[in-house]
Amino acid sequence: MPSLRDIRKRIGSVKNTRQITKAMKMVAAAKLRRAQEAIVQARPYAQHMEQVLSSLASRARGGAEEAPHPLLAVRPLRKVELVLLTSDRGLCGGFNSNVLRRAQRFVAEGRGLDGQPYERIEISTLGRKGREFARRRRLAIRKDYVGIFEELEFAKAEGIAQELIQHYVDADLDAVFLLYNEFRSAISQRVSLVQLLPIAAQPVEPGAARPVEYLYEPTRRELLEALLPQHLAMQLWRAMLESQASEHGARMTAMDSASKNANDMISRLTLQYNRARQAYITKELMEIVSGAEALK
Amino acid sequence: MSDLLHEKLQLQIVTPEARAFSVACDEVRAPGIGGGFGVRPGHTPFLTLLSAGALSYVAGGREQTYAIAGGFCEVAENRVTVLADFAEEATAIDLAEAVRAHDAAVARMHALQHADQAAFRREAAEVRKAAARVAAAHARR
Repeated sequence: MPSLRDIRKRIGSVKNTRQITKAMKMVAAAKLRRAQEAIVQARPYAQHMEQVLSSLASRARGGAEEAPHPLLAVRPLRKVELVLLTSDRGLCGGFNSNVLRRAQRFVAEGRGLDGQPYERIEISTLGRKGREFARRRRLAIRKDYVGIFEELEFAKAEGIAQELIQHYVDADLDAVFLLYNEFRSAISQRVSLVQLLPIAAQPVEPGAARPVEYLYEPTRRELLEALLPQHLAMQLWRAMLESQASEHGARMTAMDSASKNANDMISRLTLQYNRARQAYITKELMEIVSGAEALK
Repeated sequence: MSDLLHEKLQLQIVTPEARAFSVACDEVRAPGIGGGFGVRPGHTPFLTLLSAGALSYVAGGREQTYAIAGGFCEVAENRVTVLADFAEEATAIDLAEAVRAHDAAVARMHALQHADQAAFRREAAEVRKAAARVAAAHARR
């Protein structure tokens, strides 16, 4: 049986912890609001861009006279890269572990949809937790982008997209995948694995051929040249925003339940404390009474 | 096709930062990469890159001007979708101030000739933005 002082001490320390988790929850809630606004605003742009590009891509592929654009060429997947978005900090519930578990599965499976195993898997990480994961598992890290989430900037997404394209072309990669937490609500995130490169073309419905061909200015090829990097940057940017909003949401939820647990613990400890005190008082009384009894 | 000619155009301007803006109108004029172009109902499907400049639309006989920079424009089935890096309503833009901002942005870009790529991209975007504001302030008058 712990002494009264021990219990009091424990109550004090749990109260301290609760204060910290409450503060963290508050901070996460404030950041979440901003991140949520950013993502809600970025989504329509990214979606429009995707629509236009995939329709452009599906038509660009049609012409037999032109070679497919390198960023659109679909090949059997042998050499692939996985871009992993995690957070820099922990204490955010299952946020990182969910993504990393998926990454683990991706690497363990190590094969594409056609069932053929990959020859090589490279990892790029955004966020410290992903880097630690890749190092621990001794995976081939191509590039580790640090400090991305300290201050999100579109220019950073553009820079990374540029490097990805460069590497994709130089290293003769067959695909680049992006793995991140998609923001659904403050309490729910979904792990999302998407193919970044080559850019998937819209499936053309049979029989629904477009009656009127588009006019392009400048040429279709030049349009693709200009839009593909932009599109990639936008997809990356969106994933960065999604991941960040998810992180704050997950942290807020985790800290909320941590505060609740602390509350439960405090009331349990308080009960125990009161019981111990009562037992102590009763014992003293009994001693006094029996002492008085003995004197009679 | 004939009913397309009598419908209104649905103009939509989307930027990464601002909420999508949508309006029904009769005519849109935009700065294409190969020169300015106009769109009226029934326009043929068209996809073009945009240069920095003034985009205006006519709705109910009134003309509205926006400064836009970067991005592209798609015209299909009476929908005009503009995806721009930057868009701002032109009525609030002061011409003299816009010209000053543009000169300053150009000077800044020239100052960092051998700086890193990210900084250069950022400054180049600033210059395009400033140029668009100047053009829009001109077009408004």
